[in-house]
Amino acid sequence: MNLKIWHKMIIGISIPSLFTLIGGILTYSYISDVKIRHGYVQIADDLKEQVLEIRRNEKNFLLHKDVEYYRYFQDAISGLNKSVNAISPPTVVEIGKDLSLLRGSVPAYLGFADDLFEYYQQEINVVEKVREEGRKLEAFVATGKYSKDLTTSFILNLRRFEKNYVLYRDNVSYNELESALSQINNITPFCFDCVEYKEAIHDLFSTYKKMDEKVNDLQSTGNKLEETTYKIATSERQKVNSFFTRTQQHLVLALILLCILGPFFVNKTASYIVAPIKRLAEITKKISEGDLTLRAPLKEHDETHTLALSFNTMLDQLQLTHESLGQSLELLHAKQIEVEKRASLGFLVSGITHELNNPLNNISLTAETMREDMGEITPEELKEYIQDILTQSERAKNIIADLLEFVGTQKTTVMEKMDIVNVIEEAIRLVANELKVAGINLKTDLPNSPFFVYGNHGKLEEVFVNIIINAIHAIKNEGTLTINARHDTVTNHIFIHISDTGHGIPEEHIKNIFEPFFTTKEAGEGTGLGLSVSQSIVREHKGEIDVESEVGNGTTFTIKLPLSGIR
Amino acid sequence: MNKTRIMIVDDEPIVGKRLKRLLEKDGYEVEIFTKGSVALEECDRKHFDIVITDLKMGGVDGMKVLETVRGKNPDTKVIIITGFRKMESSNEAFIKGAFDYLVKPFKIEDLKRIIKKAESELKNSSGQ
Repeated sequence: MNLKIWHKMIIGISIPSLFTLIGGILTYSYISDVKIRHGYVQIADDLKEQVLEIRRNEKNFLLHKDVEYYRYFQDAISGLNKSVNAISPPTVVEIGKDLSLLRGSVPAYLGFADDLFEYYQQEINVVEKVREEGRKLEAFVATGKYSKDLTTSFILNLRRFEKNYVLYRDNVSYNELESALSQINNITPFCFDCVEYKEAIHDLFSTYKKMDEKVNDLQSTGNKLEETTYKIATSERQKVNSFFTRTQQHLVLALILLCILGPFFVNKTASYIVAPIKRLAEITKKISEGDLTLRAPLKEHDETHTLALSFNTMLDQLQLTHESLGQSLELLHAKQIEVEKRASLGFLVSGITHELNNPLNNISLTAETMREDMGEITPEELKEYIQDILTQSERAKNIIADLLEFVGTQKTTVMEKMDIVNVIEEAIRLVANELKVAGINLKTDLPNSPFFVYGNHGKLEEVFVNIIINAIHAIKNEGTLTINARHDTVTNHIFIHISDTGHGIPEEHIKNIFEPFFTTKEAGEGTGLGLSVSQSIVREHKGEIDVESEVGNGTTFTIKLPLSGIR
Repeated sequence: MNKTRIMIVDDEPIVGKRLKRLLEKDGYEVEIFTKGSVALEECDRKHFDIVITDLKMGGVDGMKVLETVRGKNPDTKVIIITGFRKMESSNEAFIKGAFDYLVKPFKIEDLKRIIKKAESELKNSSGQ
């Protein structure tokens, strides 16, 4: 996707925010649902309470059977009826069929209560009638008009059963009354005065029977009301609980997802934003390590694209400057070499003059002595003088030869690819005898594999021989000469160190040791050209020669040569 | 009259040997040294009228000899003999009080002439 960092950041922030928002809305809706459900639970509980109150009133009513308790009972029922009807239709739908059932049962229950109250009203009359007829029958029997068997005691017994029945209304008293009544027929089949009483009793029976049925209806409906409200309350509680459980599960699931996806998402977003910057940083690091030809890739489409463009433009400028600077430097270097050559020519002439003037002076002084003292010279003296003249002539000749060699290094030399380790080893072989004679201990640490430089074998060998000979002279008596070579992989140079344990070079001489004709050796022992020639050769090979020395501790020469590309 | 005492300092031994023979023949008292340091030590012990010194020597060089001798005894005449052409170091030598400057190779007559000149100057200054 071709997105800018800015956009990526907006997306990176928006997506988690959106998820959080959705989670928040869901949680809010869950809590709202739970709140509503909790309202239902309250309603259900209220209904249950009311029903329990009704049942209490029902018991009182059944016990006392009077108007006062009937009013309480009625009030309680109509209270429930009001409550049930006050519930809004959507809530009714939500709570379900049990509430509808409850709504339907309340009027029926009220109807049973009304009926029962009516029966209770009738019961008084019916019982009164039975008692009246009983008293009448008692009066008749007392006249003795009927069979002698229908005695007063029988009637009194019958009336006792009647009283018991009205009082207890159980099966025992019913059966006693029933059998006593049927005995009347056996005793006096045509007792007209008994008919009214019998009818009244039968009326009582049927009234009680209907009453019992009504009580049953009332109580079973009451039970049903109780059960229903209990069921509603329980189911609403369960619903709330299941809501809580579900919310809990969703929350746990969301937390797990957050734990797993959160780090992954943050990591993805971060790397998505940072990746192009990282790629640019890697390239800039490589460039800063020196490769000015590298360029930042332009494949990104965000802000880093502009950055890479500017960076590349800057690099182009830098490369141009670098190249032109290199050219100027080369030009300057060439000019400097020219100037140095001229200066060294003047120095050279002065050096040659001095070096040659000394032997010439010796020759001329010896010759003058011979001329002045012609007659007095002994043959031994004459021999010494002639020898001096010859030695000094030889010295002058050597100076000229060294000079010619020095001049020779200024000419173009043939260069080829060759192993520098081999050159060092050959130089060591050349001076091996001198080392042995001087009693010098040689320590070498050279690479086992060849290291190739582009150069002239003979000239480089001369450099090493010159430095080793200088070291031998510096050591004088016993000492150690150490030669080692190290490859610098970063710059691809070879560093050759030649150290001696000799007398060292005083600080004031260090700056002069590479100048032609500079020497600290006794007159006639050295021309002062060796190190100068060596420096010329090393420079010709695009290398450097350096010296470090401490008086009394020895001297180390370091020769640094560039290696030829292919090993 | 005492003999004129001459000191010769040159690291080339032949120079001292030949000059000693040639100058002693003319009646000078000559002492030769090949090291500047040894020569200067001798200067502390003895008085020399004339010092002839080479310039370029290892250790204590001719310029140092000139400075030290002139510092200790301004009457002593110092003659420089050197393989360098005149212009290069002669200016410095004259500034430091050199009596004369002779380029190698030189003729013995030239040196003798300069010595004579130095002697007469020494006489003049002591006569005053």
